Amino acid sequence: MEKYDVVIVGGGIAGLSIARELSKYNVSTLVIEKNEDFGREMTASNMTLVCQGADSLTFRYGTLHAELNIKSIPLWPKYAEELGVPFKKIGGLGLIRDKADFFRFMKMYSRAFKSSLKGEESYYIPKGSFEPLQFLNKKALKDLEPYSNPKIQGALYDPNLAVTDPVKLAVALAENAKANGVEFLLKNEVNKIMREDEYFTIITNETSIKGSFIVNASGINADRLAEMAKARDFSYVPVKGVLTDFDEDTSEVFKHQAFYLPSLGEPHIKAVVPLIYGGLRVGIHLSFTLRSDKEIPLGAADHNLGVIKSIAPGYPFEKHIKKTFFGIMPLTNAETGWHDFVVDTPPHVPRWINVILGPAGVSSSPMLGKKVVELLSTSGLEMEPNPRFSSSAKGGVKG
Amino acid sequence: MSALSRKVDLNMAIKIINAMIMYANDNGLLPGSYAVVDEGGHVVAFERRDEAPAATADIAIDKAWTAATMKASGRILEIISKGQGWRLNVKHKGRLTIIPGAVPIIANARVIGGVGHSGGSAEDDLKIAQAGWTAIFREEDFNAEVEERLSLARKIAKEVIEEVDNRKLKPVTLAVVDEWGHPTLIYRIDGAPFGTLELARDKAWTAVAFKTLSENVSSLYSNMISATNWNERLTPIPGGVPFMYNKFAGAIGIAGNMPEEDKNLAINVIKKVGLELLG
Repeated sequence: MEKYDVVIVGGGIAGLSIARELSKYNVSTLVIEKNEDFGREMTASNMTLVCQGADSLTFRYGTLHAELNIKSIPLWPKYAEELGVPFKKIGGLGLIRDKADFFRFMKMYSRAFKSSLKGEESYYIPKGSFEPLQFLNKKALKDLEPYSNPKIQGALYDPNLAVTDPVKLAVALAENAKANGVEFLLKNEVNKIMREDEYFTIITNETSIKGSFIVNASGINADRLAEMAKARDFSYVPVKGVLTDFDEDTSEVFKHQAFYLPSLGEPHIKAVVPLIYGGLRVGIHLSFTLRSDKEIPLGAADHNLGVIKSIAPGYPFEKHIKKTFFGIMPLTNAETGWHDFVVDTPPHVPRWINVILGPAGVSSSPMLGKKVVELLSTSGLEMEPNPRFSSSAKGGVKG
Repeated sequence: MSALSRKVDLNMAIKIINAMIMYANDNGLLPGSYAVVDEGGHVVAFERRDEAPAATADIAIDKAWTAATMKASGRILEIISKGQGWRLNVKHKGRLTIIPGAVPIIANARVIGGVGHSGGSAEDDLKIAQAGWTAIFREEDFNAEVEERLSLARKIAKEVIEEVDNRKLKPVTLAVVDEWGHPTLIYRIDGAPFGTLELARDKAWTAVAFKTLSENVSSLYSNMISATNWNERLTPIPGGVPFMYNKFAGAIGIAGNMPEEDKNLAINVIKKVGLELLG
C-alpha cells in the first residue's frame, strides 16, 4: 500500500492550490479526485471573479473568509503570471438607485479608503495592489457604460475587481504541482477512511492508500468525507446558484462587473460579470437545496434575464442567451447568513484538516495554500523547502 | 421542484435530532437536550439524553421556541439586543432564550420552525443546533447511538406510533418522563393539535408525581388537590400511566383522543414493551 505524508481529497481549486503550495516542500503528496478532470464542480460554476477590490473588504470582519481574500489580493498578479492563467482587472460598478444605496456605498468607500492605512491591520492592503474607489455621477456612468439603465443615479466605481478562468487555474495548479512531484489519482472516489494511530487508511473504489495527514477539500461533500473519520465539526447548507451566460455579442454592451445591493427580503443576487473570453455571466438565483437536486428552479432563468434587463434595458438580451446552469456551494452559518471558510483541524482528530470554501473561494486560492502549510507544520509535519521547485513548470497531469 | 418540505413534520424532526446526537457523539460533546419545534414554536419532537441535566429540557425547548417565533438565530438576537435580551424575559413567562443554540429552520426562503440544543457551552450548543437544522438538506439518515433510558423511550414511541396507525386512532402527542417528572422524550404525531402537547406532558407528570394512573389522583386525594390548583402541571384525567423498567421509574402521557382511549393506548404499549405498570 502506497504511503504519503499528505493526502488531499478533492481536485478543485481548494485541493489543488494546497497541492501546489505543498510542492514547494519536500513532502510526498497525493491528490485524489473522483472526476476524470480537475475543477469540474464548484470551480466550474461561479462568477469567475477575483475579489481584488472593495468587495473583499465587505466580508465579515474577523472571519477567515475576509482574511484569506484580503491577504490574497497582493499575491494574485504574480500567481496568475507564474501559472500562465488569464487575469484581467475589469473594474466593478456598485449601482446606485437611491439615497439609501448611496449611504450604504459610502460605508464601502470609507472602508476601502481605510484599507490603505497601516493601522487597520486586518484590512490592510499594501500600496500598489489597490486603486482608490471613485463615485460616478449619472453622466460619468453613462459615458462608461452607454447601455446602463437611465434610472440608475450613479455608481461606486472600483477599478480593482478582476476576472480569471477558474478551471484553467485549477488545471494549471495541478500541472505545476505534478511537475514538482505531487502525485494524482483521478476517477477515484473515497469510500471509507480508517483512522490509525500514526496514519489514515483511505479506501477508494480502486485502491487503498495510507496518509499521515489528510486534507479534506472535497467541496460540497466535505461533510460526508469528514464523517468517515468522525472529523466533522462544521455544518453547511448546499446553496444552488443559477447563472445565465450570454454570447460574445453582449461583450460590447457591458464592459464592467456591476451589481445592485441586496434589498431586504430579496434572497437573490443581482450582478453581471464580463467573462474573460467574452460574453456576460448574469445571476445569481439562489436557493437552499439538497445536493442531489439537479433541476434549475422555476423562474431562475427569468430572474437572471430580469437582472441584466434592469442593468441594461435597451438591448435584446433574450436573443443572446447561451446557457443557464447552476453550481452548488456550501454555505456555513446559513441561518444567520454569516458565511465563513473552514480551514481547521478538529480538536479531537489530529492530522486531519477540513477545508470548506464556498463563495469567493477562487479569490482566496493564493493564500489558502499558505494557510494549510502553516497548519500542517504546526501539527507536526516536517517541511523542508523543495530545492527543485519551479514555479511555472508543467507536468502533464493526464499524460 | 425542490424536495424540501414546507413544514416540520415528525420524521423531519426525528432526523434533525438524530443528526444532532450523531454530531455530539462524533465530536465527544456532553449529552444534552434536543428540541425541534414547528413554525408556531410548538414542539414536534424532543429528546433528552440520560446524562443530560434535567433543566436542559426546557432550555432546549425554549431556545427552539425563541428561534422559530422570533424567526432568527439566537446569535443575531444576542447582537441586536446588545446582550440585554434577558430583560425581555418579563414577556412570555420568561421563555425568550436569547443565547446561542437557538437556530431557525429555514427552507424555501422561510422560517418553518426552530431547533434548540442545551447542555454544552454556548459554542457547542450552536454547532449542535446547526448540525441539526442543516440535516434537512441531507439525503441520508443519521445513526445516533443513545443510552438506555432514551432508547427505552424511543421504543415506547415507536410502539405508540404503530398502535395509533393500526387502531386508526387520532394522532396523539406522546410524552415520556423520568422518575422526577422531567421529560425524556416528546413526539407529536403529524396532525395532533399543539394543545395536546402540554396535556400529554402534564398527564405524564401527574402519573409519575403520584405514582399512580393520572385519573386516580383526584379520588386518592379526594378532589381537594385538583381544586386547589396548586400546580399548573397537575392533570388528573386519564392518559398518564406510570411504569417501572429495571432500575428506571417513569411515566407515559398520551393526549389526542378521548381520555379513556389515550389511557388504553398507554397501557397497551407499556405491556407490549414489557414494562411493569405502577400504581
